[in-house]
Amino acid sequence: MAYPRTHNPFADDEEEEQCRSSGGFDDPQERGMSEAESKQRCLQQEVMRTAKSAVDSSHRSLGLIYESEKIGAETAEELMRQGEALKRSERMVDNMGQDLKTSQKHINSIKSVWGGLVTYFTAKPETTKPLPEEPVAYQASSKLQNAMSHSQEHEGKYQASHPNLRKLDIGGFGAFASDDSSSSQNGYPANRQLRAAHQTLDNNLDEMSLGLGRLKNLGLGLQSEIENQDTSLDNLLGKVDKLDLKINNTNHQIKNLK
Amino acid sequence: MDNSGKEKEASALIAEAEKKLKSSQSFFGALFGGSSKMEEACDMYARAANMYKMAKNWCAAGNAFSQAARLHLQMQSKHDAATNFIDAGNAFKKADPQEAINCLNRAIEIYTDMGRFTIAAKHHISIAEIYETELVDIDTAIAHYEQAADYYKGEESTSSANKCLLKVAVYAAQLEQYQKAIEIYEQVGTNAMDSTLLKYSAKDYFFKAALCHFCVDMLNAKLALQKYEEMFPAFSDSRECKLLKKLLDACEEQNVDVYTDAVKEYDTISRLDQWLTTMLLRIKKTIEEDESDLR
Repeated sequence: MAYPRTHNPFADDEEEEQCRSSGGFDDPQERGMSEAESKQRCLQQEVMRTAKSAVDSSHRSLGLIYESEKIGAETAEELMRQGEALKRSERMVDNMGQDLKTSQKHINSIKSVWGGLVTYFTAKPETTKPLPEEPVAYQASSKLQNAMSHSQEHEGKYQASHPNLRKLDIGGFGAFASDDSSSSQNGYPANRQLRAAHQTLDNNLDEMSLGLGRLKNLGLGLQSEIENQDTSLDNLLGKVDKLDLKINNTNHQIKNLK
Repeated sequence: MDNSGKEKEASALIAEAEKKLKSSQSFFGALFGGSSKMEEACDMYARAANMYKMAKNWCAAGNAFSQAARLHLQMQSKHDAATNFIDAGNAFKKADPQEAINCLNRAIEIYTDMGRFTIAAKHHISIAEIYETELVDIDTAIAHYEQAADYYKGEESTSSANKCLLKVAVYAAQLEQYQKAIEIYEQVGTNAMDSTLLKYSAKDYFFKAALCHFCVDMLNAKLALQKYEEMFPAFSDSRECKLLKKLLDACEEQNVDVYTDAVKEYDTISRLDQWLTTMLLRIKKTIEEDESDLR
């Protein structure tokens, strides 16, 4: 019931012309057939054509979905690598901060004897190595678990509604096809082909819905990962700025020492 | 254009730098602070190299950078030496790949000495790429990628390590070193399975591992497929798994047409890339050979 209605007005003009022209061509052969039957054959061909183009376009969409999934997966891997690099940089910046502190102490002791005594007596700071000295393996965000279980529930509901639609479709066309078979032999194969086309279309639509679900989860995962990396980038920026100031300071002091 | 002028300037700078060097090594130079002369000479070499780069004279630029690097080594500033070697390597990349590899190797030595393994790994990858593209020496490229992966693993950057290992696996499979490729793909696949973001690529790795098993022996492939399905249930839903099952059936029945049909059907939705096509063709050949044997 859905398919013949999805014509656009321009296509309607075309098919009517085609029907008339094909009717004219076959006239000598099918003098036996009534006009109504040839019109019916015409419409059947039209239906087959539309069904085929629908199946083709669903194939294409499925291909596109898989491609997007592949690209998304590659992006995810790059993101993980980037996250690791960010963590490493943060660790290094922390190390640099520590080193600068020790060098500051040395400069103080060089600048003045009094300064040297002060540093000698201040409690030796247990050179607090920044905690992750044994580099921690990078963990991606785990907010996804909720999103995944959610989407699986929704997918279940969607699947439940879908088979109903499917039965309606074939049932509708089954009625249409049975009228045909009573009038002419040619109705049968068209009916089976049509049913096969609908089957493939439905299968493809199922796969598309699964693929879209996966894409959604992938997108959500990427989003939370990017958010985390955003915050670490901001932290890193702050630390690097402070470090920059300290280095400038130290340079100044050393120059003045001369 | 401006460039020829730059070249003249550059050559003038280099001549001046050499003079400075000579003077610093003479008796008086050493007395009056030879090291500052060396530093100045270093700077001059670096500036000259940059000018050669502007004039696109890559060989001369590379040479100038190498000179600067050697001077830095003499002055015991390893960091600067390594950076200059890297610059030299990049300049040589465009002109003389072999020389570039030499410079990069020396830089890597310095970095590993200092314990900067991440940077060393990154440059191993650059060397491997040069071997891949310009010198087409796949074995050495594989060796460098493996070295890079080991360094990355040592620094706990598993994603970067996996990236290198995957390249090794691709080339190993092309060179028919299937066992190595299988190990790598299985390892990376099991790692990916557990991560929330990476599990979308896990099925891809298991697919490739199963294909490598297939190239070796059909029974291996069947067992492997079952193993992967148990480990990773989502794998069974994927189209790759369905394709593998169809291929296994086609292989059992020794039917090349079913095989080609299944591959074509998969191709209509997701295009097969170069590597996959090569592997599938190899498997098809084994089926055809078995067929002709039976006849």
